[in-house]
Amino acid sequence: MIATRRRVLAALSLGCLPRLAGGQAVGTLPPVVTDAGVRYPVVLPGMPIAFPRDHGSHPDFRTEWWYVTGWTSDDAGVERGVQITFFRSRPGIGEASVSAFAPRELLFAHAAVADAATGRLVHDQRAARAGFGLAAASTATTDVRIDRWSLVRDGDAYRARIDARGFALDLAFRAVQPVLLQGDRGVSSKGPKPGQASGYYSVPQLATGGTIEVGGRTFAVRGRAWLDHEWSSAYLPAEASGWDWIGVNLDDGGALMAFRMRGRDGGTTWAGGTLRDASGRTRTFAPHEVAFAPGRTWRSPRTGVVYPVTFDVRAGDLAVALEPMMDDQELDARGSVGIVYWEGAVRVRARGLPAGRGYLELTGYGTPLAL
Amino acid sequence: MSASGDVARAVMRGAFGANRGRTALATLAIALGVGLGYAIQTVNRSAIAEFTSGMATLSGSADLVVRGPADGFDEAVYARIALDASVAAASPVVEVDARLPGRDEALRLVGVDALRAGAVTPALLGRGDSALDLLRPDRVFLSPAALVWLGLAAGDELAVQAGTSLATFMVGGTLEAPVGLRLGVVDIAAAQEAFGRLGRLSRIDVRITPGASVDAARAAIAGALPAGVTVERPGETADMAARMTRAYRVNLDVLALVALFTGSLLVFSTQALSVVRRRAQMALLRTLGLPRRRLAGLLLGEGALIGAVGAALGLVGGHALATVLLSVFGADLGAGFFRGAAPALDFSPASALVFAALGIAAAAGGAWLPAIEAARASPAAALKAGDDESVFGRLASPRPGLSCLVAALAIVALPPVGGLPVFGYAAIALMLIGTLLLLPRIARAILARVPQPRSTVAVLALDSLRAAPGQATVSLAAIVAAVALAVSMAIMVASFRESLSSWLDRMLPADLYLRSGGASSTGWLAPEDQRAIATLPGVRRAEFLRVLRVTASEGDPPVVILARDVDRASAADRLPLVGDAAPVPVGDAEVAWVSEAYADRYGATPGTSIELPIAGRAVTFAVAGVWRDYARQSGAVIVERGAYARLSGDERANDAALWLAPGASAGSVRETIERRFGPGRVTVASPGEIRAVSLAVFDRTFAVTYVLEAVAVAIGLVGLSASFGALALARRREFGVLRHLGMTRRQVGAMLAAEGGIVSAVGLAVGLALGGAISVILVHVVNRQSFHWSMDLRFPVAQLAALSAALLALATVTALASARRATAGDAVLAVKEDW
Amino acid sequence: MIRLSGLARAFPGPPPRPLFSGLDLSVAPGEIVAILGESGSGKSTLLNLIAGLDRPDAGSVVVDGAELSVLDDDARTRFRRERLGFVFQAFHVLPYLPVARNVALPLALNGVPDAAGDARVASLLDAVGLGDRAASMPRELSGGELQRVAIARALVHAPAVVLADEPTGNLDPRTAASIVALLRDTLKARGATGVLATHSHAAAAIADRVLVLAPDGLSPAAVHR
Repeated sequence: MIATRRRVLAALSLGCLPRLAGGQAVGTLPPVVTDAGVRYPVVLPGMPIAFPRDHGSHPDFRTEWWYVTGWTSDDAGVERGVQITFFRSRPGIGEASVSAFAPRELLFAHAAVADAATGRLVHDQRAARAGFGLAAASTATTDVRIDRWSLVRDGDAYRARIDARGFALDLAFRAVQPVLLQGDRGVSSKGPKPGQASGYYSVPQLATGGTIEVGGRTFAVRGRAWLDHEWSSAYLPAEASGWDWIGVNLDDGGALMAFRMRGRDGGTTWAGGTLRDASGRTRTFAPHEVAFAPGRTWRSPRTGVVYPVTFDVRAGDLAVALEPMMDDQELDARGSVGIVYWEGAVRVRARGLPAGRGYLELTGYGTPLAL
Repeated sequence: MSASGDVARAVMRGAFGANRGRTALATLAIALGVGLGYAIQTVNRSAIAEFTSGMATLSGSADLVVRGPADGFDEAVYARIALDASVAAASPVVEVDARLPGRDEALRLVGVDALRAGAVTPALLGRGDSALDLLRPDRVFLSPAALVWLGLAAGDELAVQAGTSLATFMVGGTLEAPVGLRLGVVDIAAAQEAFGRLGRLSRIDVRITPGASVDAARAAIAGALPAGVTVERPGETADMAARMTRAYRVNLDVLALVALFTGSLLVFSTQALSVVRRRAQMALLRTLGLPRRRLAGLLLGEGALIGAVGAALGLVGGHALATVLLSVFGADLGAGFFRGAAPALDFSPASALVFAALGIAAAAGGAWLPAIEAARASPAAALKAGDDESVFGRLASPRPGLSCLVAALAIVALPPVGGLPVFGYAAIALMLIGTLLLLPRIARAILARVPQPRSTVAVLALDSLRAAPGQATVSLAAIVAAVALAVSMAIMVASFRESLSSWLDRMLPADLYLRSGGASSTGWLAPEDQRAIATLPGVRRAEFLRVLRVTASEGDPPVVILARDVDRASAADRLPLVGDAAPVPVGDAEVAWVSEAYADRYGATPGTSIELPIAGRAVTFAVAGVWRDYARQSGAVIVERGAYARLSGDERANDAALWLAPGASAGSVRETIERRFGPGRVTVASPGEIRAVSLAVFDRTFAVTYVLEAVAVAIGLVGLSASFGALALARRREFGVLRHLGMTRRQVGAMLAAEGGIVSAVGLAVGLALGGAISVILVHVVNRQSFHWSMDLRFPVAQLAALSAALLALATVTALASARRATAGDAVLAVKEDW
Repeated sequence: MIRLSGLARAFPGPPPRPLFSGLDLSVAPGEIVAILGESGSGKSTLLNLIAGLDRPDAGSVVVDGAELSVLDDDARTRFRRERLGFVFQAFHVLPYLPVARNVALPLALNGVPDAAGDARVASLLDAVGLGDRAASMPRELSGGELQRVAIARALVHAPAVVLADEPTGNLDPRTAASIVALLRDTLKARGATGVLATHSHAAAAIADRVLVLAPDGLSPAAVHR
């Protein structure tokens, strides 16, 4: 489901994912979905997940992303949120072309720094068709790059280099915990129908270190981050207009992921989540076990969109309260790719006490995310 | 204001009134010169502004543009450039001129990577329903001008020729292209694939990392480029386009200056005659105490006033003319440099001021000599009758005129300055001025040699002219200038046309010509097409031509390479070679025949060697000869097609020349070709049709010249008529006396007609000689240096004879008409007129 | 030689201003008649009528046996060319011809070959005292000299009648006196009839007969020499 909303985000923000709107044939559970003559494989229950192969790209699937969010602090103790996202898309165009420019595979990247001192996000994006060694997603392991932006897995660590307008990131994310397979052994259901699923795993509690250059100054930083990797060919239900998602590194070493799909009436149409506690015990939540209760709202002075920026989230027995690092973490990409969303660093409390740090993603609050 | 000033002004005003016709005429001539010059300038500036802004929008925020030959360069260059540390964004582009079935003009199609172009050239992004449509291979996004031109809307289909087949695109929407630019945008992969450009790019638009040095980046990029691929700043393309049109533009500007000069001459004749007529009045004013300088000032002021009114009229008319020219001839006055751009008129106060100043200066200049003369004259002498000639005494010394002619001879052969025949133009101006300065002497010399006629009337006419060559000169100046201009243009155009015609004969030896498209066109003949053509029934022999457009040297306009089925043995027979051919190089040296433009630009002579970029490598060719080329102004090189194919691996062709089998009919072969390739896929033409079209294009290009020529002749004639009229009126007393003494009206008329005939015959003779001399400069210096066109001098005898006869007849009729007016009055009253 | 009878002429109007009517004049061959009158009295008009340059409103003009009022313009022009000579107040010597050619002009117009005319021109120039100025241009001459050229020109083709209109009008009194004396002498020497229109009594005094022009015609006048 996370997968779904991120995919939609990708589709909308980059405007170049095909419209399928849950068009996968239901009941017969076909091995592929077909769109405009292009056959995409679908993720079916029981699909095996194997590493290192599944760290790499799955170019046959319609869409895929690697998503790193984290909290850092510099030597002076200043905290900054970081978001690095690489998307891969197979738009089904130019499949038969022999041109090196054929747009069979597209790559996109978003990067943002949340700096409380700035008061809002600093962000930038890249887009390219794969090819010429300028943009590529390796099938061997996590190695995605667009020009001088890259996210590469080496051993048990990821290295991200982002050379953006107004800021630059050079960060290493070392895995200190095993991979967390989401859903049913890495097959994450997205809706009530059997074909609506993605391959999805996370790597929480990434030990983060490196430099952040922002506002003309370079800071050595340390912190904790979260990686999502997800691929799929099927989409969210047409009745959804957006979603809320969190990924939280709990202070005790645990990890919580939860999401809900919002219908056009604002109600929840689907939900899910996973909790791995400090001892490594993992619980997957059914839709009814997850609830998002919005609290305070913030109105963007740029777009006029109103976002709930605090939440009480319940996942099974766990109840947490979310408080943003700052209210303005809106990512306004209308000028280039045409959508607006809120992607922000949040502090997490449980029973009134600080319990962790994570990221909250809010989409579809401006205009409904119609697919 | 002094009383004498009032009187003076009154006299001057009176003079204006009396000379209303001539003053109006001089004003009109100035207006014409100013208007023409301003219109040409405005049209050209509008075109260049349009082109520059088009280029600026299209190149967006690009700091540098990497550009290769028309058939493109290796796309691997793109990856190298994009990864350079100083490059912030690089947008690869494939650019073709799409042949559209049923249309003569091609549509520029630009293949871009929409994901890359956004960062450099956002104007090249289509605006469709979905951003994904920008990547679809079957979508085209058309600029507003292209949508209008093609009559298409989103959702319609656009068929484009690809090779000899068709590729169909769906119009996905429009794009933000500058006004007037006809342009379509497709996905780069689709462009490569559909138009046979796999692996090749036309250009790469580059944005430099903020803070990096553009020059350093340029040097770094240039170091990694294959031969024939250059890196330049985007503005340089527009500069180059402006440079390419400069010679043509200057040519037109000079014609406008000639009109201005004619206007100046008319002001001179008007003022000179009016000063003669008002001599006594002005002497009276001087006697009454008007200072010398004030009198001169008043007369100069009259000239300046004529100039100012003329300039104002000219600017208004010029603006209107520019509007008409832009809509009728397009932005380049018919020369074909700015295809597809329909620019908006660009008003520039600065250039309006310049041309107004030129007009006023020309008119004041024309009034200068008469004014100085009038001011210098002694009032006592001027009050006496029979002193009219002394105004022209200043022209008595032959030295200034001779100096001009000698100077003209001295500078005429000097090389061009910045590609412009500055010295050629200066020599023409000096010859014109020198001849005009010598005109009284020349006239006297000619008149002295005219045998004494038997008829009293003719004797009187001749005597009157011999006695007053100065006044005759005034009439002569206008006619000599006009005739010289008309004759030189006529000779130049005739020489050019004749040379073009025989060049076409030489270039078109076959029975039929087949054309699929130009160097960057989407139409071409693949090897299988060529085989099919060569084996068509009725075709005895087929030769093929590959056209390439390459940059031979950075910053220079592109050079055309013609890979032809010609070899060193047949070249002398097949090419319009000029001068000596080099001995055929032995061994395996590649050979090339360079056009005159190329030879001039790069100093290539037979026996030297040149380097040409072929498929990304610099290849050395031995120059085997220089040929005449009227088609490609910035230079062309013919190479052997076999050698080209061997060097490049490119076996496509653009054109074919077909020789028919005995008994085969051109019509049936045409039909066979149409059937084989489909209607309109290739253009088939007979040499005759190509000739006709070429000559029609020639005539259209020279249409502006013809108009100016006609205008010059008209000004000359009208000027002649005006000065005759004035002279006749001035001589009414004389006619009155002659009537008293027993001359009939008819005899007086005949006398004036004879004078007119003699003057125009003299003017014609001098004008013909001067025009002939100027035409030699035009043909051998101006055209050679401006356009690198050599041509053989041809005298259009019939045309010149007709022109001469018409001028003589018109001049005589004009003189008769003025005589009629002058003698219409009462002879009794005429003798009583004191002034 | 000249017979005017019942001549009437008005200045063309509107309204027409009558100059004279019922004018009769008869001039014998070789006689010199002076017509005195104020400016605007019609002296020049009378001369123009005699020259065939103007037509009378009424009456007849017979000169040297020809009735001018019935001749057409060409015939009158021919008549003038052959039978009349003119002397003008403003000399009207053509500026672009040398003196001799100016004098020869009537001969040329009458088709007399140059060779035949040269002697006559020379003799006339001698007669007017300009024998050494034959090649001079008019602008080199004084007013008196120019009028001498005009007198020579008026007589070179041996006309029957010479008409002189205010020949002294542009000259100083001394020159004027010599000019009218010359005019009289040359006329008499060649037996030509002369009509002299002038407002100057001094000039009129050289005439054989002096008449005053008035609206009702001509009447004899006494002249103060």
